[in-house]
Amino acid sequence: MTEPAITVRAFFERARAGQLVAIRCGSCGELAIPPKELCPKCHARAWREEPLAGNGTIASYTVIRVAPRAHAAGVPYAVAVVALKEGVSLLGRIVDIPLESLAVGMPVRFRPFVAPDQQPSIGFGPA
Amino acid sequence: MRRIAVIGVGVTKFGLHDRTSAELFAEAAADALTDAGIPAGAVQALYYGNVVGGETEHQLHTGPQAASVLGIPSVPTTRFETACASSHAAFRHAVMEIAAGVSDVVMVGGAERVLNVSTAESTEYFAYTSDAVWEQPLGLTFPGVFAMIARAHMQKHGTTEAQMAAVAVKNHRHGALNPKAQFQKQITIEQVLKSAYVADPLKLLDCCPFSDGGAALVLASEEVARRHRKPVWVLGSAAASDWMLLGDKRDLSRVPATERAAAAAYRQAGLGPDDVDVVELHDCFTIAEIVATEGLGLFEPGAGGRAAEEGRTSLGGEIPVNPSGGLKAKGHPIGATGAAQIAEIVTQLRGEAGPRQVDGARRGLTHTLGGSAATVLVSLFGRD
Repeated sequence: MTEPAITVRAFFERARAGQLVAIRCGSCGELAIPPKELCPKCHARAWREEPLAGNGTIASYTVIRVAPRAHAAGVPYAVAVVALKEGVSLLGRIVDIPLESLAVGMPVRFRPFVAPDQQPSIGFGPA
Repeated sequence: MRRIAVIGVGVTKFGLHDRTSAELFAEAAADALTDAGIPAGAVQALYYGNVVGGETEHQLHTGPQAASVLGIPSVPTTRFETACASSHAAFRHAVMEIAAGVSDVVMVGGAERVLNVSTAESTEYFAYTSDAVWEQPLGLTFPGVFAMIARAHMQKHGTTEAQMAAVAVKNHRHGALNPKAQFQKQITIEQVLKSAYVADPLKLLDCCPFSDGGAALVLASEEVARRHRKPVWVLGSAAASDWMLLGDKRDLSRVPATERAAAAAYRQAGLGPDDVDVVELHDCFTIAEIVATEGLGLFEPGAGGRAAEEGRTSLGGEIPVNPSGGLKAKGHPIGATGAAQIAEIVTQLRGEAGPRQVDGARRGLTHTLGGSAATVLVSLFGRD
């Protein structure tokens, strides 16, 4: 039995404390966001933890105006796929950036995001 | 491999219904049996698509429930859930059951009921098809997923909101010719562009509606199908998956699962995109149709928006796409959609589509996408 390099629970505990963590394949060097039991590139089972700086640029984004029930009070809000400088991407909620100033390629920086009644998750604010 | 044909089709009207999803399936299934001209007792298995029955109807175990309501309770029945591609996945497995020689006559069906709950509730339930840990807590919605695909496509290829609107206008024009469609009225580019944003850059009229409805198909082995008046042959049927998380996808302007499923289906059929006369594809949002026409090889990557604007995908154009009106105008009862698309292609290849008939159509293709583009099925059909 092999313990995972980092569980989802541990990932979000660290994220809540302000630290983004990825996993790097000890066999081929592929970088990924957990959880992945096997390396999608070489199928090795040899992950090790690797901290990320949290800096990246917006790859795509949208401003959501019709929301699921739990988020209805928060509209409009933006979510974005952010390409982190280490080469992995992550979806996050845009925080503290005026919606009308959003643009593909805009530099942003990770911060924890916690919505009411939701698990702590990923946010991105000004770089 | 044994040759397999679709010998019967049935589809309810799509839209608001005051009936359970099982009742909607049963109506379509009985129509499909009548169309096939075979007794219900000939059906040896039911492959069934249903997605949010647990949420909107408090109903799981929908396979045997659907079979019971139809009146064939003793056949083996399995419910498939691959988000909006569910009954197309059911179809592919039914094909494999007949191909394996296990059965000669198999029914494929699907149904969905969502208009009995509020838009906020159905938006939440559809969002369950994205990741519960990484995406749902952020308030990601289904239009939001395709809005980000649209933004990436616009950024990379210069696709415009007017080109996306052209898809909506075309599919409403087609839907106006389909008596089963939820929306049977035409709309204009200006109406689409002036409709309210749902998830920028997608507006209300870029989005397909929430719908109730059912669809069913009767599939048969060649021996059985040869006795039928107009068998439509299954030339290929393939599935592909992709990363679940948007963050794991490398290029949001493409849907790799469409490209992989299409390549496999074309290979099985020994055909290419140029051999196809009519297409029913997954236009849950206008950008989804543009990206799908590129992924299926009908147009070069980045050329789909311009092709839509130039009318190349209209009835009468070089490759008519979604003559039924598509999900956009015909409606999108998610568990029924894959089977309903196949029913339209079968109707087209039989030459029985009336005012929306694609003249002389001999080969047809269906494409169904599930969730955040993590599931895609592509099937190819031909007549004698």
